[in-house]
Amino acid sequence: MTQILDAEVLAIITLTLRMTILSTAISSVIGVPLGLWLDRASFAGKRLVVMINRTLMASPPVVVGLVVYLILMRNGPLGFLRLLFTFEAMVIAQVLLITPIVCGIVYTASQRSSERIRVFALTMGADKRQTRSLQIKELSNEIFFAVITGYGRAMSEVGAIMIVGGNIRHHTRTMTTTLSLLRNRGEIEQAVFLGAILMLIAFSVQMIADFLRKRERRADENF
Amino acid sequence: MKISNLHKSYGKFSLQVEDLSLPAGEIYGIIGPNGCGKTTLMKAIAGLLEPDSGHIDYNGLTPRDITMVFRKQYLIHDTVLHNLVYPLKIRGIKPDEELVKRYLDIAGLWESREEYAPGLSSGQQQKLTLVRALIFSPGLVLIDEAFSNLDMESAATFEQLILEKQRSSPATYIICAHQLSHIQRLCGYILFMHSGRIETQGPASQMLTQPENSKLKSYLQYASLKEGVTD
Amino acid sequence: MKRNFMLYLAVFVCLIIVLSACGGTAQPTQPAPAPVAEPASTPEPTPDPEPEPQTGTITLATTTSTEDSGLLDFILPNFTEVTGWDIRVISVGTGAALQLGRDGEADVLLVHARTEEDRFVAEGYAERRHDVMYNDFVIVGPSDGAIAHNDDIEATFMAILDGNLPFVSRGDNSGTHIRELQIWESLNVSPEDNTNYIEVGQGMGATLGMTVEMDAFTLTDRATWLAYPDVGNLVIVCEGNELLLNPYGVMVVSTTEHPVGAQAFIDWITNPATQQLISTFGVAEFGQPLFFPEA
Repeated sequence: MTQILDAEVLAIITLTLRMTILSTAISSVIGVPLGLWLDRASFAGKRLVVMINRTLMASPPVVVGLVVYLILMRNGPLGFLRLLFTFEAMVIAQVLLITPIVCGIVYTASQRSSERIRVFALTMGADKRQTRSLQIKELSNEIFFAVITGYGRAMSEVGAIMIVGGNIRHHTRTMTTTLSLLRNRGEIEQAVFLGAILMLIAFSVQMIADFLRKRERRADENF
Repeated sequence: MKISNLHKSYGKFSLQVEDLSLPAGEIYGIIGPNGCGKTTLMKAIAGLLEPDSGHIDYNGLTPRDITMVFRKQYLIHDTVLHNLVYPLKIRGIKPDEELVKRYLDIAGLWESREEYAPGLSSGQQQKLTLVRALIFSPGLVLIDEAFSNLDMESAATFEQLILEKQRSSPATYIICAHQLSHIQRLCGYILFMHSGRIETQGPASQMLTQPENSKLKSYLQYASLKEGVTD
Repeated sequence: MKRNFMLYLAVFVCLIIVLSACGGTAQPTQPAPAPVAEPASTPEPTPDPEPEPQTGTITLATTTSTEDSGLLDFILPNFTEVTGWDIRVISVGTGAALQLGRDGEADVLLVHARTEEDRFVAEGYAERRHDVMYNDFVIVGPSDGAIAHNDDIEATFMAILDGNLPFVSRGDNSGTHIRELQIWESLNVSPEDNTNYIEVGQGMGATLGMTVEMDAFTLTDRATWLAYPDVGNLVIVCEGNELLLNPYGVMVVSTTEHPVGAQAFIDWITNPATQQLISTFGVAEFGQPLFFPEA
């Protein structure tokens, strides 16, 4: 790994993008409906569920990594799947890490506006389904923000994927685990280069996000 | 419409309406001091809050036929146009261009139809919520202090609109406003509320000019001093 | 929108600064001026510079094996007790430890990659290297008998390569990794021809853990091996070869701000009493010493 940008580094970047996009997509598919449902539902122990969600939002990646490791390890409950140190294991860990974030942000946003929207829809004579769809449409900015935040987390974390992916060269080595390895090797120059690429990707994601949001109309700028 | 034994309480406040009959096709005004229960009663009628007990007979009206406008109402995070046609859209009605233009002109928002609705001034927002509630010609319209942010001229335009609609296709309106001038110009029948109860009721002419109830008298006295209603 | 644009611009500027800073750190690979020369600007050289305080904190950059095996926890309290100096330990791979030395971030280095250490001295980053102790590397692997216990490292490595047996390499430029590569090189083969050869780029402990999970082979130092709590199905398959000797050296970094403390560390660790202490480490727990004194 002496070259600044060779095929291996490109493969690492591609792998990282594949992993983060996949895990964010799965987390969104689970987290967004879960957050909306959590706001709507009322059941015993809901406060506890919300509290757990809040805690998980801040869970250290290393802890999540360790839990997934213990589940997937040879003697663990799902050891027979032989998923440890694979791409799939990293995606699983990231999904566990990100879903609570997406869910929590959507829940909070929904909690803030859903009741107002429900009352409004009622005054307009909307039925249940129409009310629901208006609530989701009105939350689209926040949902988008939740997904972007989740993606940021997926992109930046290293603790979980290091443990469950194992940072195996050509297989599970991502940008962040490579960075940490380069530091361990003392190859600071290459580390900074990769770090800069990471920053560039983060920057591009924000650009795209902003572009899409603009098309969707910016909710807050006019206030 | 008939209300019987309606009861709703929050903490210390309690709304109690034993028996109230509001024949359809009339414009009713509800007046009374702050905290007398006007909004609570209107919300209960609009079906926005579940009463603790009691019953409302809507005489055939369904929730789809009822609308309520507040002083500050939710605006969809979209254009003025989208907001206006929302009630039509959910009823599967294709908005008629002429109708849309007419209502937006009344609200003075035709030029701003492509603007982002939550970004409007509060007066414009209020006008938009009013035309949005009226465009689908509901059978029962409840208006809670929704003229408060309007200048005299705009308020008069809306009064005209309501009266005109009333003539062409009779609906029931229940209007609550602090400025008695609106009530006076619009309403044929008035309910005076006090401490969660309907203290007295009667035709507008009699209620506003020859009040008998002592609480209503003192309320009107203050109101007239302030606004010169009984001119 | 304008505000956002400014924000992006600011981010971009930061990025550029970071990038150019990286160009800066890339330079000092050139030999540093070896001894700390008296700055020329000092008008009259003071014969006795401000005497350095006799105590303080020195920084030791060392390899993961000394930390992971528990040796440092065992002996370092004695250092502070005897000399009064506090010590801060940064445990990384040998490559990173040497880089910390080059960057002037460490005062003393305790590492195990003889050729790298000699280069470090040759480049002028340290005056000399002192022998401290040694232990040895072992090859561990599954106990299923694919490779029987032996002392022929070359045969063992060839058997792994030819059999396409899973082998976990540290891949982190550590002393252990460098040694592994040296062995492959001495055999004139490329380990990457083995499709089950993987590089994990992690410390010895983490690498052993992965080896256990994957039921693979790896090269480990004996200390970490003995101290690792759960080795599952793994046993030592090769040990006792000359190529597996693992000498540790200690060096004072030339640019140290605490020459007194750093020297105190060298004197202490090569002192017979400390050497004796090192040789007792692990005996109670493992029935054998993990490191052998060599000073």
